[in-house]
Amino acid sequence: MLDRVTDSLERYMDVLSMRQKVVASNIANADTPGFKTKDLDFQSEFASALSGSQPQASEVAGLPVKNDGNNVSLDREARLLAENAMRFNLASSLIREQIRMVKEAIQEGKSS
Amino acid sequence: MSLFSVLSVSASGMAAQRTRAELLVENIANSETTRTAEGGPYRRKDAIFSSEPVSSAFASELDAQLNGSVTGVKVAGISVDNSEPELRYMPGHPDADADGYVAMPRVNPAEDMVDLMGASRSYQANVSAMSAVKDMIQHSIDLLR
Repeated sequence: MLDRVTDSLERYMDVLSMRQKVVASNIANADTPGFKTKDLDFQSEFASALSGSQPQASEVAGLPVKNDGNNVSLDREARLLAENAMRFNLASSLIREQIRMVKEAIQEGKSS
Repeated sequence: MSLFSVLSVSASGMAAQRTRAELLVENIANSETTRTAEGGPYRRKDAIFSSEPVSSAFASELDAQLNGSVTGVKVAGISVDNSEPELRYMPGHPDADADGYVAMPRVNPAEDMVDLMGASRSYQANVSAMSAVKDMIQHSIDLLR
């Protein structure tokens, strides 16, 4: 939108909101028999999102499976939920700062 | 903006947990009921959950890519416990049979209370997810200020 950094931040927020969706889906299915936890591999998904491809969700290995075949850990999902929200807020603050700088340039440095 | 569709995922979880809580409360309330419309004592009910893809009118290309992997939850059905009712010796009871036994519902209130706590906690988890996403949407909107 404005420059390369803002563009990357935009993609970053895209991947974060996608991940938040996967986490919300895990939480909603915490009591669904046979449901398996899904997640995005954040680092590699972000790298591929920068080159324009779409993120893919995959199943998470190594979580203890309950008797009903479900392996959602609410603690893990709560952590990811908070982490994603904070990362997203950070990214949006950074973009806001970029927009503020452009605005200031438009207004010839006069603060509005 | 795919963030809005996250809200419907959490909402589906809340609706499913609410249905489950309603059934559990019904079980507790009817743990001593000996007469029902179907005849015989009350039978314990429970919700069966299954995951289902969320569909949104604004489903974007990004959603289509993830189709099938991001799922909400729905109540697929209600299971009714068809095991034999518990016979309790109560000769003075109006529903007692010739031998003085009354068919009582096979409901264990302790079990239902524990499930009810689980349903309530799961509901709260969905509310937390929803409010976290709401904050993210609010921050995106604030970019326009």
